[in-house]
Amino acid sequence: MKLLRRLIAVVLVASSLLSATTATDSTAKGPTDYDEHLSLKTLPGNAVLASFSFVTNGTFDNHHSVFPRSLAQILEHSHARELHLKFSLGRWDSELWGTPIGKAGGTGVELWAWVEADDDAGADKQWRTLTNALSGLFCASLNFIDGTRTIRPVMSFAPEGHHSEKEMERLHLLHGSLPREPVCTENLTPFLKLLPCKGRAGISSLLDGHKLFDAQWQSMSVVIKPVCDNGRCRLQVEQTVDMVLDIERSLQRRDSPVPKPLPVERLNCDTSKFYGTGDSCFPQTNLGDLPWSLSEIFGRPIKGVCPLARPSREAHVCAIVPAERSIFVSQNSVEIKYPDGTRCFVLPDTADFDVILPQQSPALPLRLELPPLYASRSFTGHGQERGGVQAVLRNPSLTETVDFVYLESLPWFMKPYLHTLRTTLSPASPGFEPIQDLFYRPVLDRARGAHLEAALRIPPNSTLTLSYDFDKSVLRYTEYPPDANRGFDVAAAVITIPKTGFAIRTTSLLLSLPTPDFSMPYNVIILSSTVIALAFGSVFNLLVRRFVGADEVSPRTQRLEEFKERLLAAILRRTRGEKKKME
Amino acid sequence: MDRRSISLVVFAVTLRLFLFTAFPALPDLLTNRVEISTPVTSFKRLQEGLFLYTHGVSPYDGGIFHQAPLLLAFFSNIPKSSLVTNLIYIFADVQSALALIDIAASGVSASTPLHTSSRKGNSLPPWTAGAAFLLNPFTIATCLSRSTLVFTNTAILTSIAKAVRGDSIPAILALAMSSYLSLYPVLILPALVLLSYDMQSTTRKGKLGPLLNYALTQTGLFLGAIAGLLGLSYVITGGSWEFLYSTYGVHLLLPDLTPNVGLWWYFFIEMFDSFREFFLCVFQLHLLIYVGGLCIRIRKQPLFVITTILGISAIFKSYPSIGDTALYLSLLSLYRHLFPLMRYTFFATSTLLYASLLGPAFYYLWIYAGSGNANFFYAITLVWCLAITVIVADALFAVLRDEWETERPEMRGKDIVQI
Amino acid sequence: MALPRPLRSAKILKFLPFLSILCVLVGVTWLLLLPLDEYSRNTYISENALLPGGVHTYFSGSEQNVFRAYRHEVKALQHAPIEQMIETIESIFKGQGLKVGTQKFRYEAGGKIYEGENVYAVLEAPRGDATEAVVLAAPWINGDDQLNQSGVALVMALARYFKRWSLWSKDVIFLITSDARAGPQAWVDAYHDTHTPGVASLPLTSGALQGVVVLDYPTTNPWDRIHVLYDGINGQLPNLDLFNTAVHISGHQMGVRASLQEMFEHNDSYEDRLRTMLRGMVNQGLGHATGPHSVFIPYHIDAVTLQVSGIGHHDEVTMGRILESLFRSLNNLLEHFHQSFFFYLLLAPRKFVSIGTYLPSAMLIAVNFTITAIGLWIKSGKRSSVSSHGEDTPEPSSITEEKKPLIQEASSSAIPSNSSPITVTEHSRSLLLPISFILALHFLSFLPLYIFNTYPSPLLTPLFALLSLLLPPVLSRLLHLFSPTAQDYELIKCFSLLLLGLFLSALATLNFSLSFLVGLFSVPFSFVAPQPSGRRWVALLMGAALQVLAPTTALLGVAVYMREGVERILLEAAFGWRVWGMWTQVVVWCVWWPAWVAAGVGVVSSWCGVAEDKEKSR
Repeated sequence: MKLLRRLIAVVLVASSLLSATTATDSTAKGPTDYDEHLSLKTLPGNAVLASFSFVTNGTFDNHHSVFPRSLAQILEHSHARELHLKFSLGRWDSELWGTPIGKAGGTGVELWAWVEADDDAGADKQWRTLTNALSGLFCASLNFIDGTRTIRPVMSFAPEGHHSEKEMERLHLLHGSLPREPVCTENLTPFLKLLPCKGRAGISSLLDGHKLFDAQWQSMSVVIKPVCDNGRCRLQVEQTVDMVLDIERSLQRRDSPVPKPLPVERLNCDTSKFYGTGDSCFPQTNLGDLPWSLSEIFGRPIKGVCPLARPSREAHVCAIVPAERSIFVSQNSVEIKYPDGTRCFVLPDTADFDVILPQQSPALPLRLELPPLYASRSFTGHGQERGGVQAVLRNPSLTETVDFVYLESLPWFMKPYLHTLRTTLSPASPGFEPIQDLFYRPVLDRARGAHLEAALRIPPNSTLTLSYDFDKSVLRYTEYPPDANRGFDVAAAVITIPKTGFAIRTTSLLLSLPTPDFSMPYNVIILSSTVIALAFGSVFNLLVRRFVGADEVSPRTQRLEEFKERLLAAILRRTRGEKKKME
Repeated sequence: MDRRSISLVVFAVTLRLFLFTAFPALPDLLTNRVEISTPVTSFKRLQEGLFLYTHGVSPYDGGIFHQAPLLLAFFSNIPKSSLVTNLIYIFADVQSALALIDIAASGVSASTPLHTSSRKGNSLPPWTAGAAFLLNPFTIATCLSRSTLVFTNTAILTSIAKAVRGDSIPAILALAMSSYLSLYPVLILPALVLLSYDMQSTTRKGKLGPLLNYALTQTGLFLGAIAGLLGLSYVITGGSWEFLYSTYGVHLLLPDLTPNVGLWWYFFIEMFDSFREFFLCVFQLHLLIYVGGLCIRIRKQPLFVITTILGISAIFKSYPSIGDTALYLSLLSLYRHLFPLMRYTFFATSTLLYASLLGPAFYYLWIYAGSGNANFFYAITLVWCLAITVIVADALFAVLRDEWETERPEMRGKDIVQI
Repeated sequence: MALPRPLRSAKILKFLPFLSILCVLVGVTWLLLLPLDEYSRNTYISENALLPGGVHTYFSGSEQNVFRAYRHEVKALQHAPIEQMIETIESIFKGQGLKVGTQKFRYEAGGKIYEGENVYAVLEAPRGDATEAVVLAAPWINGDDQLNQSGVALVMALARYFKRWSLWSKDVIFLITSDARAGPQAWVDAYHDTHTPGVASLPLTSGALQGVVVLDYPTTNPWDRIHVLYDGINGQLPNLDLFNTAVHISGHQMGVRASLQEMFEHNDSYEDRLRTMLRGMVNQGLGHATGPHSVFIPYHIDAVTLQVSGIGHHDEVTMGRILESLFRSLNNLLEHFHQSFFFYLLLAPRKFVSIGTYLPSAMLIAVNFTITAIGLWIKSGKRSSVSSHGEDTPEPSSITEEKKPLIQEASSSAIPSNSSPITVTEHSRSLLLPISFILALHFLSFLPLYIFNTYPSPLLTPLFALLSLLLPPVLSRLLHLFSPTAQDYELIKCFSLLLLGLFLSALATLNFSLSFLVGLFSVPFSFVAPQPSGRRWVALLMGAALQVLAPTTALLGVAVYMREGVERILLEAAFGWRVWGMWTQVVVWCVWWPAWVAAGVGVVSSWCGVAEDKEKSR
């Protein structure tokens, strides 16, 4: 499968190359601008959020200096004007870590783009080109985003780039996601390849697959959009990598790959317990913030600065930690303090750079900004015939009502009943209508998934439960994956707040469908055909032959007759016997 | 209509009302049973269709609603109360029963203009036919599940009743209605034409032209009616023909493989993709084959041809349910006087009983307990179809033998063979 | 001519009783043969992904100190109120950095209140997506009302230990239920959002549950072997792979012997295998929860309970390692358990019989009733009995369709060569009385079902035994207002046996053991019949036999078997009906009891001179 994917990739990229070269040779070289930035933020529960961001700008007429050529060609080829591609793994824990990174997508791969086309058919064609090309570029199965996984959101997404009115009329927004796609190193490598320094210098030198994919939560995204200021438009690529690292686990992994029990003397026990600390040890909790450093959690320091990064006074690395906590950094790196307590550092040109935070106990209180909305989604009921979906959305704010858009894109074999859509508010506020607006496109067997978009609002400090029933289809046996009994992943619901542009995803769901017996095709065809043949035979046998008295015919035909009867009885018995056999 | 019929109807209506009111959860439970409501008759899907229709989304641009547009128009214009809906369904059942009683009263099952059974003597009083329909647990379940098959059955029975009385035009219209609702009743058109032709020829002697012209006019009328209904639906659905695919297309192409008591679903789950279209054609044509043969061989008893064809389509149509079986069995009860001639009734009925008990059990094992697999339920559907097949063939045998014995009364009771 | 040729002759009728006796005998012998090596098989793991015992386990060393500390904590809470218990456990889980939820529940069954509170923690798999989860559970108070102190402590210690691994592909849920019977049910119901009003819904959930292991480890002493409980509600069983994995890991990897069905000394002899199998069948037949795991199984979640038993040299570290290895195996699962058997009878930890082998025995017993019914049907058709209900033949009963063809076939089978007018009189079997009697009886049976599930008082049983002693005479007296004929009695028996056979054969596929046991108890129904006045003593014997084999007697038998008071059993039954959704009572009262009463009525009718009427008609 992977090989196949790669093949497609090669072919497509090659083709785009051919078509693009003519357009690109004549371009003149212009001023490059590239900016990279890393922010480190300590989170409760001894976790660190590391956000890498790499911004590359290039004008439309020349964008082949640092601007990744392959991307440019894909864009030209597929007439995509704005593109959002997200790889995510794990779930963001807003209860613990506060408001999530807006840029993150749902688990797996999520892609949406504004493509330029005359009509829907044209848009679909471009979209197919785009997904295939990207799947080649990022070694992801994006080419499996077909009609059944593609929707055209109406409320949820707004373009981030600048598009003129005239353009907007010809732009089509398409959205697709692959919840089951395992994001891994194979996706990271091409991602780094797009960077000017290719992960060899600058902050991108920290990005190592082993550490990255041992994170608690991790997300990569590529956003390409046109940015215009006073008429001059540039094409901007923003690549980000965000990850939450569990310090305890990364430190321990440094010692040994297996979390063997600590030796007794290294346990810190609660001595205040009545049973003392002789043979028993009540482990102490919140022992303060563990010490960590870049080289410990990433396995290496930052290797110098990327020479192509925009030379400016503003810093490359920022640490968002409580002001009381001390930070040690390597030699000759400039530190800039900001009023909000953020400490930033300009990388030394050549030397390695490391950030070290010593042990801090007791733990310093961290101030978390509340997310505007908590969202969780789960299945209700059991059995493989039908079920229900229940989304619980909580507005933590004590003062203001929150308006948001809830987007569900369901696979075609999950058939929701819209007339069972219910919303319940707790505490109940009579007269308050949570559903402001509703867009629904029903499923079409094997052609289109259901697309539900609801503009909802929740009064302050209350919880909205959105629920609906659905039926599960039985598929043709060729339509099941090899691990049919695992179930099918249902993409995360996207929740966006248009006012602030804030977006979160719920977790994806595992839908278990009834499975046929995959070893049976021949038996089924034979048995069913037998029944039909039996009906046909017995009816027409009666229709075409005529009766005579038993005493009026020769014994021979009589014997034949008896033989026929016995044969019929035998067939009856056998077809009945099948039941017993299968038990 | 005699006293017994009235008391029967009253009893049946009260029974249904009681069930509807005493067990409010029961209708929805039955609606969700695959044996009772299929993708093309399910009330839940009808509700979804109505919801989308009333909210301006075309229900036919989707994979859930596969029922006729007139149903939408009808249900969207009646008050939204479950009581009204229930009453409508009960009324439909009663109407069917009355039609059956009419048919039985006319005695066509025992003696048609062309043939009079030698066992005419021991056919039952008319009301029993009604009882066979109204008190059949399968019928009751279908009615409680509010499956739209109820309306189809009513239309079929009404058209037969009209044909038996010899007024052909209403008969043809009713048949057009039923075919419009669920496609397959069109199979009984030839037999129905024959029936009404025979009955008319008795009522007004000679004034009736030759059969061919009659058949052609009737068929023309039928097609006209169908065209009218489709045109009406075209208007209802706001000027789009997409309902054709997602109603009749679904009957023909079987995109929705939800299990049912029929043979199709598992066959086409397990079918190799390259042969799918071929076997779809085969299965559909297979249903057509019987019509000609039966009409010719049993020309003397068109009513029995209709019964048999309904029985066969209750087995082999693409989305059968126990409602179809109930219709067939109740029509078969008109031929009670021929039961003595049937050979495998015991085997068939006991099999039917076992299947109707084991079916739900095995479905539970497959879908909910997860301890059984699809073959369990499939095996039961095989057995079920087999049982009905045997009944159909056996009844056919009885009728043929009866015809033969009327020709040769001296052969009654003797063992016979076919050559 | 409705029957296949061999059945058409009258002689066959004489053989039918022997045939049905034969069925019963073969059925029982079949069951007795199963424990032999020829018919049983060795268990094996068929899901390759499990790789049981394939990993090295590290749970030991300082983890044991932590465990001891937790056990002290639990012990200290033994007599504390439930809120305090919840609070402490919650704080411990929170301290380990897990998400914690609590759930209050309250059930009312048989006039008693069952309430408590569950606390559970979710270990979110790193980079996982809450699509799948496995559960490690321990009741605070186990089934024998002991404080499950080592169990709860071990669960908490393992939670802390598991948190440090980054290899989990599924969430791990650590569940502490306040009791062993209602708590797990409340939790699993709420997890699927199918809970009753008395039960609170869960504050946080995870993905689809793939497997559940319950730990029942009350003792603090070293133990000798683990006892694996596997029966679920209504006799459903977990996938055999889960059981095998548990046995395999404990045996091969840890060298701990496993035992089942309380057969602690199992020397793999025929007797021990048979006893194990029968105990398993009784547990399945009763359909009750044998442990906290049972309530998960109806949700198609495979679950087992691990109990420690005996005095030996194994301690919490061994158990901890067993669980560690078991959860590593569950973590390997790619698909939901589906490979191995769901229908099996276990004879020994490593011996089982699969459904194909054992089902016939129950089926044969069910078939014997059907055979007798057929025989009675033909017999009742043979005699010309002109009755007053002649014209009612196809009376308005809900089974008209099924019956009507039967009417004809049997009679016509009687005398195929007669001319129709005679056949008419021959046909007229009066079905109205028997069918309405049977129907009435089955409706009546909802009464005991309701009473027993609502007011389970010890007085009920003797009361009801008395009632069922009197019911047959009363009913037959009632019946006599309609002046029934011998044929009516035959038909009543015929129909009740036909229904019994149908129900039992359908039940055999759902709950083999229950079907088999009920069938065995009902065997006499095929053979009791009205006796002529000369042989009243036979009737007396039959009546006595029926009384001995009455459902109420069976109730007492169960009480004796489980060494509990009848009231306890009744409470259990009511609880099972309300909380667990146990169907055993329905079978007993709505399938078995009506058949029993019908048989009783048949016997009593010996005193109503029906038999003479029969004699005359001969």
